[in-house]
Amino acid sequence: MNKEARLKATINQKLTETGERERLKELLRAKLTECGWKDQMKAQCKEVIKEKGLEHVTVEDLVVEITPKGRALVPDSVKKELLQRIRAFLTQHAS
Amino acid sequence: HFWTDSSPAGCSHVNGYKVDNWRQNLRVIYQCFVWSGTAETRRRKAKSCICHMCGAHLNRLHSCLYCVFFGCFTKKHIHEHAKNKRHNLAIDLLYGGIYCFVCQDYIYDKDMEQIAKEEQRKVFGLLSDCSVSVHSTGIGEKYTTWEPTKRELELFRHNPKRRKITTNCTIGLRGLINLGNTCFMNCIVQALTHTPLLRDFFLSDRHKCEMQSNSCLVCEMSQLFQEFYSGHRSPHIPFRLLHLVWTHARHLAGYEQQDAHEFLIAALDVLHRHYDNGKKTNNPNHCNCIIDQIFTGGLQSDVTCQVCHGVSTTIDPFWDISLDLPGSPTPFWPLSPGGDGSTVNGENHLSGSTTLTDCLRRFTRPEHLGSNAKIKCGGCHSYQESTKQLTMKKLPIVACFHLKRFEHSAKLRRKITTYVSFPLELDMTPFMASSKESRVNGQYQQSVDVLNNDNKYSLFAVVNHQGTLESGHYTSFIRQHKDQWFKCDDAIITKASIKDVLDSEGYLLFYHKQFLEYE
Repeated sequence: MNKEARLKATINQKLTETGERERLKELLRAKLTECGWKDQMKAQCKEVIKEKGLEHVTVEDLVVEITPKGRALVPDSVKKELLQRIRAFLTQHAS
Repeated sequence: HFWTDSSPAGCSHVNGYKVDNWRQNLRVIYQCFVWSGTAETRRRKAKSCICHMCGAHLNRLHSCLYCVFFGCFTKKHIHEHAKNKRHNLAIDLLYGGIYCFVCQDYIYDKDMEQIAKEEQRKVFGLLSDCSVSVHSTGIGEKYTTWEPTKRELELFRHNPKRRKITTNCTIGLRGLINLGNTCFMNCIVQALTHTPLLRDFFLSDRHKCEMQSNSCLVCEMSQLFQEFYSGHRSPHIPFRLLHLVWTHARHLAGYEQQDAHEFLIAALDVLHRHYDNGKKTNNPNHCNCIIDQIFTGGLQSDVTCQVCHGVSTTIDPFWDISLDLPGSPTPFWPLSPGGDGSTVNGENHLSGSTTLTDCLRRFTRPEHLGSNAKIKCGGCHSYQESTKQLTMKKLPIVACFHLKRFEHSAKLRRKITTYVSFPLELDMTPFMASSKESRVNGQYQQSVDVLNNDNKYSLFAVVNHQGTLESGHYTSFIRQHKDQWFKCDDAIITKASIKDVLDSEGYLLFYHKQFLEYE
């Protein structure tokens, strides 16, 4: 594993160990629901299901179709806030 | 027809897994690798949950259900393992879903779903005491999607009519018959039935009445919401509400025109009292009724001794903010145009016209109490001159501003008709106790913190008074959906433009917080 990948893994370990990862996930969930992103994604999923047909659609179909849209539609303010939180966490746990 | 009362779509390929002690094994997998609740399981998860083929921890990691193997889903490492070992089931470590490689899709086996739900619920309880206050709806459980019970499915089948809320449907709008100068009551009812949180509370049937008699105002309010959202277009006749108001707020009884603001306060007071059927009288400061949750804010009063500069602080609850207007007997200091604050709120600054922000600035300015009103200072142990300043300590979810247009002084009774412009969106940050503190410490920054949305409000109702003190009429503007406004004149409801609303005189202004924090 190269240096960057090792750094990512270390950060991930620290986040998971301390439970911060779960807290951040819950925070993100709340923010994305508040700003209506979750409802947007639900509507997109319904479109895909209509297109492919309820009997034939798989979870994979949905993942492939809405992942790019989902990533693009996350509001900047939410990204900013999460980044701030992660930075604050890393500063706290710097070793 | 998404829901049927048969079990969710499972598959027969799980039968090979459901042998021996499979339930306990599955629980262990959930506890250790999906929803790790304890410090020990978290540490283990951090160390071991990486792909056995490429070492990555992202890429939708899955765990094989038959052996100890973790593999990426995205890079198909888990798929390879499934094929090679003929282990046809895997679990998604992010969401806990079970994937069947034969069906090539996630499957929902009833027994396995049950275990997943239980394990998830356990962990969410443990998350509760962490520093981030992100909980659920406050009932103490994690938010889960609603699934109908058998009884509910029955009701759905027996009542096939469905109401669809589109962007321009008018459900929730209904006129109110004037029962004899009762427009003061009608306009407040319109404002309350269009308060989103209050509407949601009553339409979710959250009031469980314990009052013996028929005189519970909260029940009547609940009925009112049923009437407004029934879809009936004929005006509603609120005779029962009027009768209850006369019973519980004697000072408002009679057929004369009353003050809408007084009615608002009386109504909130009675609703607050009836909420728990008087049980709360044991602890009036810690009431958690819906009225307090929505309307109660905290007003901080700081009295500063001019000699020793000691500050005495008290915080009082409030349901509304009454603002003096220019033209009233107490001197009003119009602030120079372009002063800080009014451009932040984007108000209609016609030359010389007063804005709501001006009124709020005046309300929160330090006021010298004068030599006739000396306060006993705890620091100086004697009576000293002091200044007093009011700021907002805690903002309510719904802020109601009362423009004091009716003057009842010893000399005369008159109505102040000065135009006060008010904004569609309001930021209360400059009037907070915390802003005042940082100003005092020299840290006050003009630029508003972009990420702090806590103090931002949106206008959703305006009550107006036309005419004179002796003979006048109340009407209201209310907001429906996001951008549609309607004028409510007793039984007559008409569409209004935002301009109509913002150009109106304004007597009671109702603002709703834009962002709600979880408790």
